[in-house]
Amino acid sequence: MSTTQRILPKGVSEADFDAALARFREILGADSVLTESDQLAPYTKIMMAGDDADYIPSAALLPTTTEQVQGIVRTCNEYKVPIWTISTGKNLGYGSAAPGETGQVMLDMHRMNRILDVDAEVCTALLEPGVTYQQLYDYIKEHDLKLWLDPPAPSAIAGPVGNTLDRGVGYTPYGEHFMFQCGMEVVLANGEVVRTGMGGIENSSSWQVFKWGYGPYIDGLFTQSNFGIVTKMGLWLMPEPPAYRPFLIQYQDPEDIEEIVDVLRPLRIAQIIPNAVVIVHTLWDAGTHVVRKEYYDGSDSIPREAIERIKADEGIGEWNVYAALYGTPEQIEVNWKIVEQAFGASGKAKIMYGEEAEKRGGGFEYRSALMKGDMNLQEFGLYNWRGGGGSMWFAPVSQAKGSETRDQTELAQQILGKYGFDYVAEYIVGWRDMHHVIDLLYNRQDPEETQRAHDCFAELIDEFAKRGYGLYRTNTEFMEQVAGTFGEPLREVHRTLKNALDPNGILSPGKSGIRQ
Amino acid sequence: MHNTTRVPCRHLPSLRLKPLALLGALLLPAAASAAPDSAPDVRDPAEVYRQVCAHCHAPDKAVGPEITIAFPEAAWEARGNYIRMTVRNGRAAMPAFRAAKISDPELEALIQALVSGELDDAPAQGGEE
Repeated sequence: MSTTQRILPKGVSEADFDAALARFREILGADSVLTESDQLAPYTKIMMAGDDADYIPSAALLPTTTEQVQGIVRTCNEYKVPIWTISTGKNLGYGSAAPGETGQVMLDMHRMNRILDVDAEVCTALLEPGVTYQQLYDYIKEHDLKLWLDPPAPSAIAGPVGNTLDRGVGYTPYGEHFMFQCGMEVVLANGEVVRTGMGGIENSSSWQVFKWGYGPYIDGLFTQSNFGIVTKMGLWLMPEPPAYRPFLIQYQDPEDIEEIVDVLRPLRIAQIIPNAVVIVHTLWDAGTHVVRKEYYDGSDSIPREAIERIKADEGIGEWNVYAALYGTPEQIEVNWKIVEQAFGASGKAKIMYGEEAEKRGGGFEYRSALMKGDMNLQEFGLYNWRGGGGSMWFAPVSQAKGSETRDQTELAQQILGKYGFDYVAEYIVGWRDMHHVIDLLYNRQDPEETQRAHDCFAELIDEFAKRGYGLYRTNTEFMEQVAGTFGEPLREVHRTLKNALDPNGILSPGKSGIRQ
Repeated sequence: MHNTTRVPCRHLPSLRLKPLALLGALLLPAAASAAPDSAPDVRDPAEVYRQVCAHCHAPDKAVGPEITIAFPEAAWEARGNYIRMTVRNGRAAMPAFRAAKISDPELEALIQALVSGELDDAPAQGGEE
């Protein structure tokens, strides 16, 4: 009998687990199979409102080659060992580098970090999952390539493959990351390797330029899923434009969100403004560099009076639109006139760029960096707003219509207020959709507040779903609940695919609510 | 200087080094070469600080506390233990960093460089901002 409280994968005997570990050591070398608690500690840090005890891995595996990943899944099948795959593991607020449930073995792909190909003519890259944005950024600079990246806010320490596979977003014209993905290499649960798109053709030169290949297009099956392990991924890079003009538009009244969205929508659809624009609420814009208690120390939701003081003191609007124009100087001048005319019509907007925008108190500097694909983590300042290390991204999708946006804003503020949390939010504007991203910030060192945050998040999911709003992405604590809002027929399709592709259920069980 | 260049993996496509045909002034990248590349096995402390830490801890970022100020030698061990524990376990808003991201040798060298003040003048960020 074991005398220690050893963590084992669910349903796996100690003897089988030891046999699997021995096999993993043969495949990877002993140094790349982590089982000691101090080695596994970094895989247990979470920011979401879950119980720490629910997110402890039994081991971590650090492969460096596709062949090793193949060997790992074959071993997992033999011993029915479940693995949870991460790449750079910086999906902070969505589950970080922790497993989906206690006992799973981490498949940590961070050491598969080769930049395999960058083609400056067709502006493509082929990467392994462990490549970070910083690594690719440095590479591009060192080789003097005139290419831009599209990082999400955690930029430098996160990576393009993991973020794209979780269908993350950035802020340049390439902001919808999965739209700019092209070609994958995937290790299936049976150990076979498949290349999607044109990758199945030997010596194809089109793998990173033509997404669709022949027959059913399957790349989407490997995003937000547990149907395979992506070991290489192609993506498109943006050519550096001759000129770039980031700008800021501020509105002062809460109800102005309606006008902003309705003015912005046609400009986005027509690509006059080509990038993933953000419409940032006061508390988000302030929260990246201002601490809450400077304005309010109560444990309830920050009152309107304090928000107005922040706006006045910091030079921040109720809504702050950060967008950019790209192209030749002549193109920018033409489009700038269109933007000025559209937003200037009502007389409510303050439109600015350059020095004038820099002097405002919000996030113009770091937003300007992100909208041109530079590395910048200033947004992590949000974690200091309330303090205590609790953060969960509640991110429902809406149409880019003012009425819908106002409805979502009011609903979110009402539910957050009920639980004593602040509306720290922004809208990220796609072509026709918007991601309404709310950072539910709470003190994770306070168990009562953590429970409250958990209940609040659960209610947000349910109440938004009742009005027809679904989430584009969520953290591991709530994947099951969110999957439920999308209906049983879709879940059944996911289950059928899971059973066909991974009959032993070894790949990331529970990811996006998908199990056997 | 930041990343070493390695020989391409045997089954990978070769890198394309062709010069660009100029098709006008609009949105074209410059001619360039590129080669398969991975993070080096052990990065020096300044490089780890630049790639990972500085984005939050550099004085002009102020997302996290400044960490490059030298400590008295008598406190190096205690301070080093604190840094090691914080890096590996995370702390409140500070994420945990695994050995796959900052290896043990890199972390030990980083700790030494931080406590001794060696990185006190480290650049806030690389690139061309």
